[in-house]
Amino acid sequence: MAAPEVHHLFHNPIADHSFSADHKTLAIARDTTVELYGRAGNAFKLQDELKGHDKTVTSIDIAPNSGRIVSCSQDRNALVWEPTPQGYKPTLVLLRINRAATFVRWSPSETKFAVGSGDRLIAVCYFEEENDWWVSKHLKKPIRSTVTTVAWHPNSVLLAAGSTDAHARVFSSFIKGVDARPEPTAWGERLPFNTVCGEYMNNSAGWVHSVAFSPSGDALAFAAHDSSITVVYPSAPEQPPKAVISISTQLLPFMSLIWNGEAEIIAAGYDCEAFRFRGGIEGWQLSGAVETKGRPGLGGQREESALNMFKQMDLKGKVKDDTQLKTVHQNTITMIRPYETSGDAVAKFSSSGVDGRIVIWNV
Amino acid sequence: MSIIREHTSATLSDAWRTINIDALDPDSSVNFDTASLHPPQPEISEADVRQLTAQVRQLLRGGDAEGALRGCLETPVYNGSEQAREAALQTVVEVLQSIKASEMTPMLKSVYGSPGGSECLDVLMKYLYKGMAATSSASGGSAPRTPTRVTPQQTGFSQIGPRPGASSESTGAAMSVLLSWHEKVVEVAGLGCIGRVMTDWRRV
Repeated sequence: MAAPEVHHLFHNPIADHSFSADHKTLAIARDTTVELYGRAGNAFKLQDELKGHDKTVTSIDIAPNSGRIVSCSQDRNALVWEPTPQGYKPTLVLLRINRAATFVRWSPSETKFAVGSGDRLIAVCYFEEENDWWVSKHLKKPIRSTVTTVAWHPNSVLLAAGSTDAHARVFSSFIKGVDARPEPTAWGERLPFNTVCGEYMNNSAGWVHSVAFSPSGDALAFAAHDSSITVVYPSAPEQPPKAVISISTQLLPFMSLIWNGEAEIIAAGYDCEAFRFRGGIEGWQLSGAVETKGRPGLGGQREESALNMFKQMDLKGKVKDDTQLKTVHQNTITMIRPYETSGDAVAKFSSSGVDGRIVIWNV
Repeated sequence: MSIIREHTSATLSDAWRTINIDALDPDSSVNFDTASLHPPQPEISEADVRQLTAQVRQLLRGGDAEGALRGCLETPVYNGSEQAREAALQTVVEVLQSIKASEMTPMLKSVYGSPGGSECLDVLMKYLYKGMAATSSASGGSAPRTPTRVTPQQTGFSQIGPRPGASSESTGAAMSVLLSWHEKVVEVAGLGCIGRVMTDWRRV
């Protein structure tokens, strides 16, 4: 397995990151700005800073086809950045929320995006031609607390959301005139706006940090603060699900998860490294870490030289330098995203962390 | 004129400032029903716990310490009276105290490896923390039997009095048992286990 590609951009936390479809541009949510990095050889160089928010930017997403960037922030706003020859032009979105916007994702159709917020609702935003303006409709019931994360079904109508009320829910975000009528799925057949297609919680009821639909859209996985991931297989509309499988781990909680095909989930979080889960409808289990530890150059052989040993004792008062984690990320991983895919399988994925690193991993 | 005077006298009183407006808003987080965060739990009475204790003691006498441990962890008192909860804790501590230090890790590993074992160890961790809370707040006596709160000393300086927990031999012994079990449970079930005790709304 090839070594991961590590880019240490700065010493600030990265709340969210997104690559453009050609992988040449990398957008980073850093403090109150959105930073755009361009690939220059093997490194990423800062190219542009998008300043429009006046509070912490919480989430960011680049639409792969149109190249539009959407960002949202604790200042209760979302901005759509349109690429023009003169640079990116921001458009304010009418979110109508009075708490922070926490999470934003484009739908696969790129005609809509969903913004989760601390106002106990999700704003589903779409472009209204006659007003030349991004407007939103609210998914409100039955959310009881801050929405921490959202994820789109491949049909661009169903939307999964995780919340601090410990529930992962599946909603319909069907908007007349924007969406084509979706094919019936196991989640539902008739799907008017704000249909609740499913509401799930696991036994120990931790905050939900991340949700994701499987590539086919027929299964939902979510990671919660009780160090678990839960996979839900729906059976038919209005029916109890075929299976709800919850795996509690010995690890610290996961912040983000992605599917690799239908039989593997990759999750990463407070343990600063990514883990694989394998399984299917009959059961899931943790199969190990993605990272191979003890790679050359990670400290192992440095301690062998006597000079180094005495140097360490002199500088730090101890032989072993134990301030470095053995993982590539030196702090919590905040987000993982597919980087290169072939069909449903993920060939490479990228992760961003509180340590200011972006790492591209080979699966 | 009179209207203005009435208005000012009404605003002079600042009682309205103390109204908790959040309580009046049905959607407010203050009115969040935490019972929605777990499925309804069957109520377990003190008599049920006593019966379980008798069974567990029998297993202990028969030398099946693992069976006894599993037995008292499989039916945690999530919904029950304070007495039932206290009695269940007492049973768990009794089982823990009767298991030798050398047997702890193999036993935990075998419980963790069995179906539903992860859940069992989460329950055990909940009892360990409950036991520590009870022993540290009890002022001497046969803690955790008597979870009486520390009452301030006559002098008014509670710090001068004997430190709670450190005062009696039995409290110290109970605490050291709980601490050594805590260490062993973390070794087997990982830090995730502690996280689950903190997030879980089903309290023992």
